[in-house]
Amino acid sequence: MDLTPSAEQEALITATAVWCADNMPLEQARQRPSALWQELEAMGWTAMTAPDVGLDHATEAAVFAELGRHLAPVGLVSSAVAARWSPHAGKAALALLDGSLEGGKLRVFDPHGAVQALGLAGHLAATTALPRDLDGGPSLDPTAPLARLDPAPRFEAIADPHAALHLQLLAAAFALGCADAARDMAAAYAKVREQFERPIGWFQAIKHICADMAVRCAVARSQLYYAAGALDVGADDAAFHIASAKLLADQAALENGRANIQVHGGIGMTDEAYPHLCLKRAHLLTFIAPARRDILLGDAA
Amino acid sequence: MDIAFSPEEQHFRAECRDWLHENVPSEPRPFHAADAIDFDKAWQRRLFDAGWAGINWPREYGGRGLSIVQQVIWLEEYARARAPWIGANFVGINHGGPTLILNGSEAQKALHLPRILSGEAIWCQGFSEPGAGSDLAGIRTRARIEGDELVVNGTKIWTSFAHVADWQELVVRTEEGSHRHAGLSWVICDMHTPGVEVRPIRKMSGQIEFAQVFYDDVRIPLENVVGGLGQGWKVAMSTLSFERGTGFIADQVKQAQELEDLLARARRTGAIKDDRIAGDLAQMRAEVAALRAMTYRNISEVVRTGQPGPEASVIRLFTAELGQRLERMALLLAGEAILDFRYGEDSLVAEYLRGFAATIAGGSSQIQRDIIGERLLGLPKSR
Repeated sequence: MDLTPSAEQEALITATAVWCADNMPLEQARQRPSALWQELEAMGWTAMTAPDVGLDHATEAAVFAELGRHLAPVGLVSSAVAARWSPHAGKAALALLDGSLEGGKLRVFDPHGAVQALGLAGHLAATTALPRDLDGGPSLDPTAPLARLDPAPRFEAIADPHAALHLQLLAAAFALGCADAARDMAAAYAKVREQFERPIGWFQAIKHICADMAVRCAVARSQLYYAAGALDVGADDAAFHIASAKLLADQAALENGRANIQVHGGIGMTDEAYPHLCLKRAHLLTFIAPARRDILLGDAA
Repeated sequence: MDIAFSPEEQHFRAECRDWLHENVPSEPRPFHAADAIDFDKAWQRRLFDAGWAGINWPREYGGRGLSIVQQVIWLEEYARARAPWIGANFVGINHGGPTLILNGSEAQKALHLPRILSGEAIWCQGFSEPGAGSDLAGIRTRARIEGDELVVNGTKIWTSFAHVADWQELVVRTEEGSHRHAGLSWVICDMHTPGVEVRPIRKMSGQIEFAQVFYDDVRIPLENVVGGLGQGWKVAMSTLSFERGTGFIADQVKQAQELEDLLARARRTGAIKDDRIAGDLAQMRAEVAALRAMTYRNISEVVRTGQPGPEASVIRLFTAELGQRLERMALLLAGEAILDFRYGEDSLVAEYLRGFAATIAGGSSQIQRDIIGERLLGLPKSR
């Protein structure tokens, strides 16, 4: 039993963080260059657990938390799952289905250049081929372009429930990264912003808000690592642990997103500043493979 | 990262489970500390004789010299078997002993550690004072040096098990005129020394478990100073960081069991149909799982680097607050029956009332948040 990253995992996490800071800073999340996706593919992040690469979920989850911390394109989550489970090859946009495999309304996030879409239909992951040249318009999350299709094309379910767990795990990793980003942004601001002739982080009223943000991140990260390990060894309770990870990561992202704006005060309410990007991303992620209560309560079939 | 225990560790777990299954006492631990003392001593002796006391303590002082992971496994199985709380042995096993292992002289270790492990010697803590609670460095109990003795005057408070203890880990100001963290010493005080007076304090749960202790020219041999004169703060902190690291594993397993009991009860009574209750139970199941994962991460850190990570304070804070939410849920599910509570009853109401200690004792939740903000996030120190 070891729930700390190994030296290789640590190196990969650090390398990811360094690359993201240089090539995909959070501050530019609203205007990602169109060539970015090719770079992300070249870095291997769209296919870490694909059959020919074969890294484990624990490594993948830790790396995805770093990508999520920089508000990386949400298509990474769906594409990484598709690379392992989908019959189609190529970028997979992140689909939010109406529930069933066919008909209804469909929301597709990050559709630019995607050849397929992947999302959750009921309890299983499902994919469909997408029309070429689909482009996204505005959505709540300014970093996630949205295309709407009505009626939706027919989706094919992926029979192995592992695929749905994979999607939930990576969405949880992204949410954790989002929560981390908000925590770091708030703490950095609390160190430099001065009121009453001292940094506002000196005051316990602000310090304790930041501490609670750190607590949420530590709790969610621990559960994410454990859940990934459970999926790797095919544990009986993997579904419970992944649902728990998603629940806690979503809450961390949302609560930290809100707290970050509060710590920033007036500037935190503006479009120009970055806190709202974390909050809006958090809201989007809560809809991606949300934790099911029956699984959390241990009474799922 | 790997969640699996090694075959050797799994074998050890089975050994723990088997022994506990055969040996956990069927009668409950008595409610009041004074009544429980014989029970606590007998149970500790049984653990010691069977080799289950001090699993990761050094062999030369009566421990087993095994790994911290095995200690964790033991504590998990201990709680799972619903074995009794170690009660009066708590301070010796979890504070005094570990502090002596880290800081004590050979003579101090040889004298005290085997007696702590066997339940022969009961310890209590003497840190807090009426004027030094969260601000522990404000300690005013003083000791002047006379020949080869310290002469102690002052008072300590919230001292658990003081009225049954043989020894006390006592932090006193040994340098006259010293301020704050400087000039303090960590001393082993014999509670039977003339001049020590214990006045028990009743808790709002009705229990008599802690006390105020008064010192009137109490003479303590200088050789009882641990870690050197003036080093008291450093020595005391080594105990607290241990407490914040791995001292809560049994509590966490107990919380997990309590939660499953509450869930079963909510299903039986139909309370689970209340959306808020179902939601809260689901939330706490996720949190209990995460807390275990966080403890495993912390243990992994200890195995790797020799000390708990900076997130140990997070574990401390989260365990305490989750425990209180569990107690509140138990009260909610119990309904009006709680109104029949009477002092002296060992019920979920007593658990709820004594549970307020969790976010106050050993550094309040507000102090924990200061530590997290300052050490984890690097925010400016406000004290």
